[in-house]
Amino acid sequence: MSRPAARSAEGSIHRVLSHGLPSNAFIPNNPKSTKAGLLALSPFQRDFAIKDNIATTPFLTTCASRTLQWYQSPFEAGVVQELRQRGGSVAGKTNLDEFGMGSHSTNSFFGPVTNEPPFQGISVGGSSGGSAIAVATEQCGMALGTDTGGSVRLPAAYTGVTGFKPSYGYISRWGVIPYANSLDTVGIVASSTLLIESAFQCSSHPDSRDPTSLTEDTRRRIKVSLRRSKRRERERRLALGELGDPIIEEANSLVNLRVGVPMEYNIEELEPSVKRVWRSALEILQDKGATLVPISLPNTKHALSAYYVLAPAEAASNLSKYDGVRYGTRADGKDGAGGLLYSVTRGHGFGEEVKRRILLGSYTLSSEARDNYFLKAQKVRRLVQQDFDRVFAAENPLRPTQQFDLSNMDESIPMQDKLGPPQVDVIVCPTAPTIAPDLEDVSNQTPVDNYMNDVFTVPASLAGLPAISVPFTVPRGFRKLDHPNYAGIQIIGQFGDDLRVIDVAKRLEALRDARLMLSIFSNKFAANRGTLDLVRRLMQAEKEGDSVDALRALYLAERKQGAGARLQIQKIPGDGSSRPWPGTKRLSWNKYGNELTAPPTIRGTHECRDLRPKADAEIDQEFQDALDIWEQIKGSGGEKP
Amino acid sequence: MARFTPVVLRRYLFGGQLPGRGCLRQLRHRQTTQSLYSQRHHTTLVEDVDGNAAWKDAPVAFRKQLKGEKKLKKAQGKGKRSQSLEEWELTVGIEIHAQLNTARKLFSSAASTIDEEPNSHVALFDVAMPGSQPIFQKETLIPAVRAALALNCDINRTSRFDRKHYFHWDQPSGYQITQYYEPFAKDGYITLYAHDGIAKEDGDSIQIGIKQIQMEQDTAKTMSQPGDIHLLDFNRVGLPLIEIITLPQIHHPSTAAALVRKIQTILESVDACVLGMQSGGLRADVNVSVSRRDGFGGSHEYGGVKGLGQRTEIKNLSSFKAVEDAIIAERDRQIDTLEAGGVIEGETRGWTIGEKTTKRLRGKEGEVDYRYMPDPDIAPVVIGADLLHHLQHSMPVLPDEEINTLVEEYGLTAKDAMSLTSHDNGGRAEYFYNVVDDYMKLIPDQDLSTAGRLCGNWVLHEMGGLSHPEANEGNPLGITDTGDCLIKATSLAHLLHLLIGKKITGKTAKKVLAELFEAGIQNVDTGPEAIVDRLGLWYTPLSNREYVDMAKTVLDANVMEEILAGKTGKLNFLVGQMMRMDTEGSVDPQQATAVLQKLIKENWKS
Repeated sequence: MSRPAARSAEGSIHRVLSHGLPSNAFIPNNPKSTKAGLLALSPFQRDFAIKDNIATTPFLTTCASRTLQWYQSPFEAGVVQELRQRGGSVAGKTNLDEFGMGSHSTNSFFGPVTNEPPFQGISVGGSSGGSAIAVATEQCGMALGTDTGGSVRLPAAYTGVTGFKPSYGYISRWGVIPYANSLDTVGIVASSTLLIESAFQCSSHPDSRDPTSLTEDTRRRIKVSLRRSKRRERERRLALGELGDPIIEEANSLVNLRVGVPMEYNIEELEPSVKRVWRSALEILQDKGATLVPISLPNTKHALSAYYVLAPAEAASNLSKYDGVRYGTRADGKDGAGGLLYSVTRGHGFGEEVKRRILLGSYTLSSEARDNYFLKAQKVRRLVQQDFDRVFAAENPLRPTQQFDLSNMDESIPMQDKLGPPQVDVIVCPTAPTIAPDLEDVSNQTPVDNYMNDVFTVPASLAGLPAISVPFTVPRGFRKLDHPNYAGIQIIGQFGDDLRVIDVAKRLEALRDARLMLSIFSNKFAANRGTLDLVRRLMQAEKEGDSVDALRALYLAERKQGAGARLQIQKIPGDGSSRPWPGTKRLSWNKYGNELTAPPTIRGTHECRDLRPKADAEIDQEFQDALDIWEQIKGSGGEKP
Repeated sequence: MARFTPVVLRRYLFGGQLPGRGCLRQLRHRQTTQSLYSQRHHTTLVEDVDGNAAWKDAPVAFRKQLKGEKKLKKAQGKGKRSQSLEEWELTVGIEIHAQLNTARKLFSSAASTIDEEPNSHVALFDVAMPGSQPIFQKETLIPAVRAALALNCDINRTSRFDRKHYFHWDQPSGYQITQYYEPFAKDGYITLYAHDGIAKEDGDSIQIGIKQIQMEQDTAKTMSQPGDIHLLDFNRVGLPLIEIITLPQIHHPSTAAALVRKIQTILESVDACVLGMQSGGLRADVNVSVSRRDGFGGSHEYGGVKGLGQRTEIKNLSSFKAVEDAIIAERDRQIDTLEAGGVIEGETRGWTIGEKTTKRLRGKEGEVDYRYMPDPDIAPVVIGADLLHHLQHSMPVLPDEEINTLVEEYGLTAKDAMSLTSHDNGGRAEYFYNVVDDYMKLIPDQDLSTAGRLCGNWVLHEMGGLSHPEANEGNPLGITDTGDCLIKATSLAHLLHLLIGKKITGKTAKKVLAELFEAGIQNVDTGPEAIVDRLGLWYTPLSNREYVDMAKTVLDANVMEEILAGKTGKLNFLVGQMMRMDTEGSVDPQQATAVLQKLIKENWKS
């Protein structure tokens, strides 16, 4: 059996695209009918690539390791079966860091993932680098990866595509070759959040073969819990007078979204370009009415260390099955050669990074080091989870209601009221502190420097939370020559709140695109923010196949009602000189207690709005303007954002 | 002695490697290894690289070995040993592994089987296929919890599974899933009585604490072939075991053996365990230490017991006798070493049947760090109150309780009671109760203990001696767990009724019993009366004249003189002779004695 492409060090997707020239990158797709009654994948994503640590039956499953280089799994992963039933078919298997261990997709037995310019010589992130680059170079519409500590989000951020890591236990891991079971999730890489949404809905189902897959029952309970949390939060905000009037709330506005901005993520190593992207993403959200809330996740600084204790420990355990006895490659000679059982086979079969992590894991689990490393790291993991639970307005549906003792809280955390710090719906932060580094620089780094790339992605993994990376282009002035100038913005939500995370990502993406179009075309519409919205809605309508006329009628009706006219949001300066909530709407003591007297450092938001009543003709003109812009955008072929 | 079927024998002869089918000759090309953790020394060091490892000594001829042992015994001299035992106290803790009686493996739905085609019952997870995951089979909890309840343990409502890492070819995933940090049961105890065979020094009864019971996976079976080739059978891998760990509270070798034996009986009585020790379903490791009785014994502490000496562990003991002998050997070795001024090393030792000393397998430095880690794929096991309640209330009567009833109410000896309960999975006892019930219906006014003794004697001893070429070898009487038997309980009760009513003689009764057995095997419906009718064996008492004639033939002058001189014992001798003369067995000893006495008296007068 020969697999020339698999051996090539060049191809981004190794086997996959082994069936011919790049133009003929995919295996002819046998038209498969979707199983009746099931949600189907969209045509753009029917042919999807799969990271090579997810078992598939017609292909080998190598984990990019010598030890499994000829391994043919006797069964197919649960998630692949789900997607096949919904019209999907496997386009190929993508390259990765061996067993998912790495941040640049360079630790592969088949050679590092590299590609044509602009990615030549540039890191595509890891470990799902093959999946990300396959999507980025449009070799497939969607790809599955695995995300243990950021392995989907990081490559997505580096290559300018969208990468999603769902809540732990939502997508079946049956057939996913484990790196660290308690952190592993199946992630999705696609060119837009819309595709991710449909792929997530198609693949997130209970699987009785995976003991960590959430059952139907649990999923229902989580839904109920989140809905209850949201209702309670809404009531609370209403009582505090923070809530925008729900009647006039525009479908697309983010008026009632509270976005957490973690202070600890503003680290020294954060590149100015990424910082700039982060800021503009926050501005976009704020412009649409979202409230930005500085939050503190004080244990973030320990999260990375904890991750690099826990993940290798589990990896060392999981990888002890590769002894060459039942499957996998086996060294010549006796199993006991060298005095230690399997030492030759295992030494031969694993790459350097894998060996390093096995040794690391074996050490932290040894009786001598366990108390100092493994147990401490587990405690840090719990603290990281608590950090998140404290800042999210929604309760963690997996845990009983937690009381956070204020006396145990870091002094630097700002308080919202007597109950504690302000709570948010989602957290928005960069996916990685830098844009994609040059591979040459990477090779000069120490392994520990390498681990730094995961600093922003690891906390959500430790807590099992849903997180998505939305790509942005680095603004002019910060761009590097001959470099893919992408930075990812990560949106993290409470456990089980995957759909809200996806929803916010979808809106952010749309707003990003709209802003880009604006900069491309004209500034004349800039004053009229409604036009931007409209363009975005047109774009969405096009994607979803809705008719323009229907949208026009809807828009007319909306404007006539004078949407936004009654909307009044108090403008609050960011310097903390005024109180964020109207004093007249205090809650009674027994309900929430008094707010603290110290002014919280929360920045309120405001939106300039055209409150003038408009004539039909004027509204119609607005719509026509938007339509013109949209036609132009479509006509121009559209520069990739 | 109990008889075993070839199936049962096969499991422990040659380490369970005898083929079920085919020619025995193929065995000659196969070295054998013991089942269940055999040759497990838990080290990654490869033992047989140079081929001179400790347990690979050249085989010794059996006869020669026996001779050597005898010599050794003589040389040792008994006096010295008993003297040193007064100074030294032995302390033993035992770990017992037993295979649970379940339909499926612990973490996969593959069937648990014995003696099936190799590698025919293996799930993906059992052989650690990448990407496969464990699914805890909750049914395995039932026998495990039953065992724990029978051993008076506290059941932990939440328990967890941990991974214990070491490399061995019979351990596909590179780790064994066990319960190290939070076992499902702990703090139990077992009470051993004199009838269980404990040492005299322990008195009437002794209570041994049980530290914990944990569930874990079994390993694959290795079949070694010449040329350093090992064939693996993964049917056994992942089967559920429980490990029972006692506190170091045992101070005598025979008590240790009694403990293992009793645990096996208890596990069988609550239907928790598949096979007994002889068949490889049970295996014990013992921890042995000695300390001086004068109080300055030792500074070690195990399981909360202080003042112990340095312990050594002897692994893989697979019979009660092995447990006892290995402990004796290790105790003597430790005392000798210490008296000679030496130091006991904390090490793992091995013991083979027939040997008089234990052998060092590896020391502390060869020890593997098991790197216990909670298994991230397996959720904690939560045992519900309803399950516990149900199991507590559906527990079978435990052997101790039953033995008590049998002795106190049914008038049996402790020994007979023990054998009654241990035969046929408790079915023999059930049968016994049925017979007594039927018998008491026939003679309602009889004392229960008298009836019990009579029935017990017949059920245990007379029926135990029955055999027939067509009978099932393992269970010739066809006794089921519920107490059914080839010989119906009512038939036996009627037979005993006839016997006690002197309608037939004892000899006849035995003959009829054999006939009933035969009828049972041939599936012929018949009763004791019909058989006695057919054989014409109804008891007709001999006439006085016949007795006198017989007595006269056995009497001679010499014997008579002796009897008259006061040696009344000779009278019984004569009675015996009379009985022997009568082949029908109709001589009533009492009447015979009376006739003899009368004759002697008359002769003396004349």
